Amino acid sequence: MSQAFDLVMLALLIAMALAVARSKDLVAAAIIFSGYSLIMCLLWQHRGAPDVAMTEAAIGAGVTTILVLLAIGRTRRREK
Amino acid sequence: MRQALVAITVAIAAVPMLLAVAGLPRPGDAQAPVHTHVAARYVAEGARETGAENLVTGVLLNYRALDTFGEVMIIFTALAAVMAVLSSAAPRRPEDDAPGIASAIPISPVVAFIIRLTAPFIAVFGAFVILKGHVSPGGGFQGGVILGALLMLLSLVLGRGLERPLLPVPLARWLQAAGPLAFAAVGMLGLALTGALLGYPAGPDQQLLRELMVIVLELGIGIGGAAIILGLFLEMRGD
Repeated sequence: MSQAFDLVMLALLIAMALAVARSKDLVAAAIIFSGYSLIMCLLWQHRGAPDVAMTEAAIGAGVTTILVLLAIGRTRRREK
Repeated sequence: MRQALVAITVAIAAVPMLLAVAGLPRPGDAQAPVHTHVAARYVAEGARETGAENLVTGVLLNYRALDTFGEVMIIFTALAAVMAVLSSAAPRRPEDDAPGIASAIPISPVVAFIIRLTAPFIAVFGAFVILKGHVSPGGGFQGGVILGALLMLLSLVLGRGLERPLLPVPLARWLQAAGPLAFAAVGMLGLALTGALLGYPAGPDQQLLRELMVIVLELGIGIGGAAIILGLFLEMRGD
């Protein structure tokens, strides 16, 4: 059961990482990357690292996404 | 041609990495070096020696306090770098991208109401995570980010930009330096008490002092982190 959870989460992580790499719309990429951090947070918690999980949820899924969006707002939205 | 180069580069990077991973001990192996070196001492003595029941905090703020000092300096330097780069950058050119995302859409009343409603709870949770970090999961970094995210939300809802910031600028500058300042203060206290920078007094009757030093560090990291995140947000929004 525990292993199955890990495998599903890892498969999702790989799929999201590929989606981020392939996306030409940077806003979409930023949002998918926030979801990646959320799954990473679940994995940390599941592996028994609640401190890291909290950091990942707050910084990875929250603040980083906003900072990336602001950076996109100051530059261009679409990758060439 | 380009694709072939990418494939070769990936192979060169991936093969040694996968080989190294294959050579690692199995997770949970009691004979793994990580469990036979210093970890046993940390687990057995950490709570008593560091004044932090949460061993992660104990390692972070006591055994490896100098490393954490470095981390706090990195975050502080990041804000300084963002300020330096953005203050010298060319002003924003709106024609680069017609549907701008940062400022075009006003905050909906529903979002504003929810943020105002939940703000006190988020603030209490952030303070709790900072102050309880030495006994339960959490600590200055996590709680500071929670408070920083709250300050970001409030700046958005209240429409406070750089020209009318939530905190007066001189106060904000001091708060942004709270992390390094707290480490310097605790470090010098340790130097005076034990002769080593960031040293913690080891006596059995000084448990309370050790705990207080950890809490001062947590508060510095938390308050400094929140102020730095708000600063990054305001600088990058730049309006």
